[in-house]
Amino acid sequence: MMAFGPGVDPCEECEKLLQPFLDRELNEAERVEAQRHLDDCSYCAKRYRFEVELRRFVRQAAVEEMTPQLKEKLSALRTPLL
Amino acid sequence: MGETTPEAEPRKLAEEARDRVRFEEEALDLADQVYRVARRLVSSREEAEDLVQEAYARAFRSWQSFQPGTNLRAWLFRILTNLNIDRGRRLQRAPDMQPLEEGDYFLYNKLEEAGDTPEERVDERLSQDDAVGALAAVPHDFRDVIVLVDIGDFSYADAAQILDIPIGTVMSRLHRGRRILKRELADRTVGSTA
Repeated sequence: MMAFGPGVDPCEECEKLLQPFLDRELNEAERVEAQRHLDDCSYCAKRYRFEVELRRFVRQAAVEEMTPQLKEKLSALRTPLL
Repeated sequence: MGETTPEAEPRKLAEEARDRVRFEEEALDLADQVYRVARRLVSSREEAEDLVQEAYARAFRSWQSFQPGTNLRAWLFRILTNLNIDRGRRLQRAPDMQPLEEGDYFLYNKLEEAGDTPEERVDERLSQDDAVGALAAVPHDFRDVIVLVDIGDFSYADAAQILDIPIGTVMSRLHRGRRILKRELADRTVGSTA
């Protein structure tokens, strides 16, 4: 992944690192660079904060638990003990 | 069989039965997580229930192909996603890969344009129905990756193994899928983005 550097728009670069940063999939050097930019740039920091909240929201909203009936059906699929 | 003494055979069967029971219990302990992911891979509760039952039936049948000590959760999800793809998904064309105009900050910018401070009121601006509907509107290939990583909590590497695709493909699908998700959310929250 391209690092922050001369001739690179830091906010554009930060936007590119947004997803792997939040997924904890950046290497240490990339993570440090992204964090340094976030500490100094309220434009990106607000957007990162929003993304964290958004993911949490979607994750919670998407949860639907299985019914007890399904749980029973799955248990019934087990091999009967002789 | 020829080398086995008459005493060894029942012991072997008893050990196998014990291993199988342990396997089935561990697999069932993961059922809540398996269902939560399955529910978002398909569009209805009925489909999710069928898929999970089919996956468990297959897992219990082929329990001996699981290598003890490896990741049982990933193994179960591999069965589940393969079954899901076998259930007609192969007939679908791969979604087009035209460039998306919307960037990663797209939804934030849209909400901000609508006069809000989006980072402070996410749950007030979006409803559960918006989120579920937007996720369901993301094409399958992209949604599978989002669901495994964001709801199933799998790493990129695990998702790649489960879906049998390269890790780079996981990353690109995740990236594009989340952009599509944000566009769908924007459509539902701040009106047409056309």
